[in-house]
Amino acid sequence: MFNSVDLTQLARYPFTTEAKEWVKNEKVNTADILSDAVYERARMRGIARVHQALKRGIVDEVPLLGEADCIMELFSYPIARMIVAAVESEYLIRRYALAEAKKAYTALKNEPPEFISILAGEFGITTDHRGIHFTDYLKYAPTWDTKWKLVNRNLQHGYVVLQHHEIARLIQEAIREKIQRELANLFAPPEVKRIFRDDIVAMRSSVASKDRRPKIEEVNEEYFPPCIKSLAAAARAGTNIPHVGRFTLVTFLHAIGMETDDILKLFSASPDFNMEKTRYQIEHITGKASGTTYAVPRCDTILTWGLCYPDQLCKTVRHPLFYYRRRSRR
Amino acid sequence: MNFLKKRFHRYYLHSRILLPERFERREYAFMLFDEDTMHRHMAFSSREQLSRYLHSHAPAHVYYSSAYYRTPSAATMREKQWMGADLIFDLDADHLPQAEQLSYTEALVEVKKEMQKLLSFLHDDFGFGKNETRVYFSGGRGYHCHVSHKAVLSLGSQERREIIDYIMGRGLDLSEIVRERSIPREGDARYGQRFTHKTIEIDPSSGGWTRRILEGLVAFYERIRHMEREDAIRELTKIEGIGRKTAEELYGGLTDERIARIKRGKLDQATGFKRIAIPLMKNLAVSLTGEADEPVTTDIKRLIRLPGSLHGKTGLRVTPVDIDGMEGFDPLRDAVVFGDEPVKIIINKPVEITMNEQTFKLEKGDAEVPEYLAVFLVARRNAVIKKSME
Repeated sequence: MFNSVDLTQLARYPFTTEAKEWVKNEKVNTADILSDAVYERARMRGIARVHQALKRGIVDEVPLLGEADCIMELFSYPIARMIVAAVESEYLIRRYALAEAKKAYTALKNEPPEFISILAGEFGITTDHRGIHFTDYLKYAPTWDTKWKLVNRNLQHGYVVLQHHEIARLIQEAIREKIQRELANLFAPPEVKRIFRDDIVAMRSSVASKDRRPKIEEVNEEYFPPCIKSLAAAARAGTNIPHVGRFTLVTFLHAIGMETDDILKLFSASPDFNMEKTRYQIEHITGKASGTTYAVPRCDTILTWGLCYPDQLCKTVRHPLFYYRRRSRR
Repeated sequence: MNFLKKRFHRYYLHSRILLPERFERREYAFMLFDEDTMHRHMAFSSREQLSRYLHSHAPAHVYYSSAYYRTPSAATMREKQWMGADLIFDLDADHLPQAEQLSYTEALVEVKKEMQKLLSFLHDDFGFGKNETRVYFSGGRGYHCHVSHKAVLSLGSQERREIIDYIMGRGLDLSEIVRERSIPREGDARYGQRFTHKTIEIDPSSGGWTRRILEGLVAFYERIRHMEREDAIRELTKIEGIGRKTAEELYGGLTDERIARIKRGKLDQATGFKRIAIPLMKNLAVSLTGEADEPVTTDIKRLIRLPGSLHGKTGLRVTPVDIDGMEGFDPLRDAVVFGDEPVKIIINKPVEITMNEQTFKLEKGDAEVPEYLAVFLVARRNAVIKKSME
């Protein structure tokens, strides 16, 4: 898909099939990549990729000035993946996948449209002058965000008309899913743990608090306001809940101290439950993935969403959290 | 055997069941006469097998699953193994705001209008071809629309929800549709930001809801402009938040030139734009469901009536409707399957109805009516069969 001599583009998008093919065709064995002095730079960069993902949530771009830069960049990606796999942390896998996807987005939004189309094709997204088909759009768009809801989009004859950077944003999501899916099934060769021991130990200790589930301090459903009670019951029964309902439920449960995994469990009865997708949505709302923590909607908002079934106590509060706090204080 | 069951039995002897695509992958379910339980998790591997079942049981209601499964006869979802599902829209008179006040016939006319709106969304916005959207009269108080485009089969319920939200205008955010611009007033530039006026613009080249709202606005303003002053003001002040003064201003400002500007998306200050746009949006959206129940569409394992089967509460046939001929479709003629052999019934509530293009005015008490009407009235519990003494 790329111009075969354009190593720069391969290096910029190392997760693509073609970049992987390139690495494979170099026929360098894993042992050499891990220990040969020639690849020292690639190893350093590999470690840096993971560190940057952990610390800042995005992998930095590096200048790709010559062939050597590109080659090192290309090799650094499989090294980084091996390190992530060796740390054996689900949190790191998610965080790293997102960080790589964000890096790709930064570069991608400045690429010419033809290139974006080609890359989109790698994820089964067809783009043409009409935009992208709404079914592809719905697969990758963060539709919990008003701006991305289909209803607020320019939909014509089955195609969503999007701006350049918006298509790039959808591809970012597709990339994130792909990288995360691949990492979930990747096992690092034992020597990786030995060679990068210090880094891996450091990474493990910094993700430990994220991966460990602190005990939920007594979440008592009895004290939930009626709107949340009915949403929780619906989630548990696997009935469909409107977007805004899921949003309300997740922000609420998060606010009272429930962990992602416990919130996930609640949704797992849903007929089309997709653990990774749901997790991502939850983490987006709770700010783990996005950095923005959404607030629990107020009562009047919940009312306009048609999710309000007030009881006596509701009449005296304006926010579902007040209801919960008041009941739990008693 | 009771009257209805006998008639249904006879119908299913030569039934014209329309089998859904991948019919052997579907789950079937039946409600029998004089029973309250639903017989579920049935699967059929051939048309004959299904026909035999219908013939021998003469069920009151026949359903099949919008989803198709690896093992449709398994008892749990997990064992069934979901493979995909059609996209189904259920438009029912009960979902209309004024449903209770309408007669059976009137309600169906209203639902048909909603169906036209739905089809315009499906064809114009979602780009489904006419041959990919099939409309059926439900046999009861509504119409169904089945979309079988291959791209929709694998959509999960969250994605289906987005489609529903789109069609219902739910979550529509006017600020995503219009562009507000602050323009410094001429001559006031030295005061900077404080003296600006806001103008509202809509991109006239856009599709989706933007186009619908713009077209709706233009149609609305044109209608208002052609009204007598007092009528126009009355119409405008009906809108929440528009008082007499605003209405007069609006009406007075509706010149040819102004309408031409609106067509180009220039709403200018657009006094009361949002106030007009909100009821307009409600009008343009499709009323798919009542507030309480979940729409069929997002439920990826829902049961729907089998086309060609009979509805046990009306005796009418679940009938395909030609999209181009929808205007002329009359359920009380085109979904009637029974003949006109006379049947003696006792009516418990006065009836006035046009069926098979004949108008009947029936009082309480004994009557002799054609079989098709007898079936309809007995099924609707508006009459019982008069037991003959012989």
